[in-house]
Amino acid sequence: MLLLTKTLVTVWMWRAVKKSAEKQIRALFAEHSIPPMEVIIPILEKTGRGEQELTAQIYNTYSSLIKGLKEILGLKDKNMKTVAKVWEAVLGFEGSKFEPIELTESRFSFSIPDCPMLHVGKDVSLNVKGKFCDLICTAGSRALMDTVLSPHKGSCTWNKALIRGAGKCTVVFELVKTA
Amino acid sequence: MHGGIRVSEDRMSSFKNSSLLISILIVSVVLAFIIVWLSMAKSMSYADMKTILTTTTATFGTLLGIITAGLMFTQGRFSELTSELTEKSPNYLAKVLSLEKIQSIETLLLALKKAFTQLAASTRIAEERNLYERIVAKASSMFVDFAVLLNLKLTQQGLVDTGLLVSEMDSSLYRVYQKRRQSVNKEWQIFSVIKRIIDTWEAPAAFFIAKSNRETPLQADLKSSIAILKLKENVGESSTNIRTEVAKTLSELNDEFSEISKRLHEDRIPQLLPQMKQASTIRGKYFYLALAFIAAPLLINLLILPQLSETTTTFFQPIISITSLLSVLGVIFLLLYIHKILSV
Repeated sequence: MLLLTKTLVTVWMWRAVKKSAEKQIRALFAEHSIPPMEVIIPILEKTGRGEQELTAQIYNTYSSLIKGLKEILGLKDKNMKTVAKVWEAVLGFEGSKFEPIELTESRFSFSIPDCPMLHVGKDVSLNVKGKFCDLICTAGSRALMDTVLSPHKGSCTWNKALIRGAGKCTVVFELVKTA
Repeated sequence: MHGGIRVSEDRMSSFKNSSLLISILIVSVVLAFIIVWLSMAKSMSYADMKTILTTTTATFGTLLGIITAGLMFTQGRFSELTSELTEKSPNYLAKVLSLEKIQSIETLLLALKKAFTQLAASTRIAEERNLYERIVAKASSMFVDFAVLLNLKLTQQGLVDTGLLVSEMDSSLYRVYQKRRQSVNKEWQIFSVIKRIIDTWEAPAAFFIAKSNRETPLQADLKSSIAILKLKENVGESSTNIRTEVAKTLSELNDEFSEISKRLHEDRIPQLLPQMKQASTIRGKYFYLALAFIAAPLLINLLILPQLSETTTTFFQPIISITSLLSVLGVIFLLLYIHKILSV
């Protein structure tokens, strides 16, 4: 009987904590948002300026988001597992799908079936989409690695398959070995 | 501008479902008629015919009894939900939505509408204009809903509506206002208006919903536009004033709506309303459809049965066969109906 009561109390507490964490994450995402790519890219393309500003905005937004997420979820380790957990939370709460491919001590890779570039208008050329894809992925991944892995260094690569019309884009995070 | 105020997807899907159902029924009846007509040549004995008619009549008499019980059950559930919501509604109009609160929200929505109409007019980029126009449409929709609530509130308190909010509407928006005002006939229906407002403003309650499946709420569109305006400021394409004003309005509206939303969720209105809608649908559409399919063959059989003689049997043979087939369809609808009742 005592064991049953203990279990019930634990489950209840766990659910309460989970609910509260979800509420906090919801508030965090409401506070930090980046401009919708399908709108901002045509604007920047037309003005011919603002790429650096966009990079800075994405980096700052993701840094704040990830810092907040780490605190709420209690993630302190500076390794690939934490990168994976944080990234899963970010994509999940943004409503994006992803499929993990590999997770080791030094490497985390996954594929995504959708990306903001796919929603950018058809009149924006592939070159421009490619340029902004690099810009956004660089800023976002740097924010993730700086916030989670630092002082360790990491690298991130993406194959732009979605822009080229292939099924899924593969993203790979790797720890950089220091001598 | 008001093209954004659309018929909800729910209604559209319900309309499509009914059309599909009716089409299936018509096709079934026509097919049944053709099959029976083609098999008319086959003879059927007088005794068999009488047995068929007696059994069909008895079966559908029983089914009619069951369906009446079903109707009473649904009606009971519907009344229960109605009284629960009706009990809560006066408190909402009197306290949750005070006159000051409605006026303050309407002022903020009007400010948003004006600011984004100007922004939409000043941009040459289609995507940006679409975003701003979407904001204007949603703000207009919410403005109309609050005007409806204000009118109801004043009517409840026996006060005269000065029409101040109506004067801010153009002709198409006024038509929407009138339509929405007329659609509120019962007290509990104010909750549909309040829920629509909250749904237009807030993000969906559940996360982990595929992006493609959700419509962006006004709140999210405003945040996106703030992020765009911020970036445009950095490249000298926009002034800081607009962004600051929008951010301030967003924050004030957030405070106002979070209070209403919190209360709405505490009172379980978002759960009660769909149940009410479902009970209402079942009580109406499914019941009358099932009733028609059971009562029609039953009545025909009752009319035929007393006159049955060998001559009349031959004469009525196709009709009797059709009514029997319709009865089978009646059973299917009855089962569907019971299934729906159980899922309310």
